[in-house]
Amino acid sequence: MKRLSALALTLWLALPSLALASTTEGGEEEFNPEHDFEIGEWVPIKLGPLDLSINKAVAYLILGSLLTMGLGILLMRVKVGSKNEPARRQAVGEMVYEVAQTQVAEQGLPHKAIGRWFPYVATLMLFIWVVNIISFIPLPLSNEKFTLPGTEVELPTFALYAATSSISVTLALALMTFVFTHFEGLRHNGPVKYFKSWIPDVPKAMYPLIVPLEILGQFMRLVSLSVRLYANMLAGHMLILTFIGLIFVLGNLYIAPFVIGAATLFYLFEVVIVVSIQAFIFAALSAIYIGSAIEPEH
Amino acid sequence: MFNLLAQEAASNVDAGKAIALALGIGLGSLGAGIGIGNIFGSMIQAVARQPELRGELQGIQWLGFALTEAVVFYGLIGGLLAFVLV
Repeated sequence: MKRLSALALTLWLALPSLALASTTEGGEEEFNPEHDFEIGEWVPIKLGPLDLSINKAVAYLILGSLLTMGLGILLMRVKVGSKNEPARRQAVGEMVYEVAQTQVAEQGLPHKAIGRWFPYVATLMLFIWVVNIISFIPLPLSNEKFTLPGTEVELPTFALYAATSSISVTLALALMTFVFTHFEGLRHNGPVKYFKSWIPDVPKAMYPLIVPLEILGQFMRLVSLSVRLYANMLAGHMLILTFIGLIFVLGNLYIAPFVIGAATLFYLFEVVIVVSIQAFIFAALSAIYIGSAIEPEH
Repeated sequence: MFNLLAQEAASNVDAGKAIALALGIGLGSLGAGIGIGNIFGSMIQAVARQPELRGELQGIQWLGFALTEAVVFYGLIGGLLAFVLV
């Protein structure tokens, strides 16, 4: 609880970038929380039509992958600290492993495929969790700049941003699951049996109606998988930022305690429940999709 | 005069869009609220009947919760898309 309140207190760090987001544009005071979701372009890299520039989302993804690796190594491998600490960390790591094994992999994947696909779904779960959780810690990785008083040094302000609140990121993750699903389905069943397994047992007369729907359904999985994560993170951040932004919209400092209180409540809800649930759900659904492609009759 | 009328029409369209977005999200969350209530209610009943199944049921419960909750956000994204594009 102490750590949680410390985390909530860091919300205050996000205030300056929100104050900057409400700058006057075109003579009219306007507040745009969506300003915080622009990714900008830090290091432009262009390969023909491909835009591989390093931007805010890419920076967050790099940080997220490094932290994911670091988390695994810290929990399971490193033997520093006092006598009991490595054991305690290992217990936490094994708890995470057990959730990934029993709740995610064994629920969706058939027994023969667990060895091959457990690493993938467990990585998905951990990676999405880490990317989600760092999005709720104000980090000095924003497009807004401020100058240190008395000097010429320009520093980025602290801001909340989730790489997963960009549809490209979640769509890329969902595409991986999509490709693996059909690859495994084709590999284990062969094309004829696999595509036949899409179509449920219905009278032949229904086929013109059912077949297009089922094919569409396969692609809707892609949409639902990516949009669920994307919209959850976007809406959560938008809600928190809008609540804090009310101070600047109304231009009234006295309402600060109320709106910060409300924002903190949403913040705790997001950090405690939504972050973990979304990571879990993405991994679990990936496992279910891959598993049902490998053994369609179940 | 004409200019003023055009301005008023534009602001009416904006107001209409805002109302539509709010209505859409509100109705979406109504449905999701009912669904989530159902899921947790059933979970309570199930655990009350067979407490030893709690661990197994919890995974299914959260899966159902997330699947239901996402419905609001499909509405939100659809509404935002319409808001931005129209």
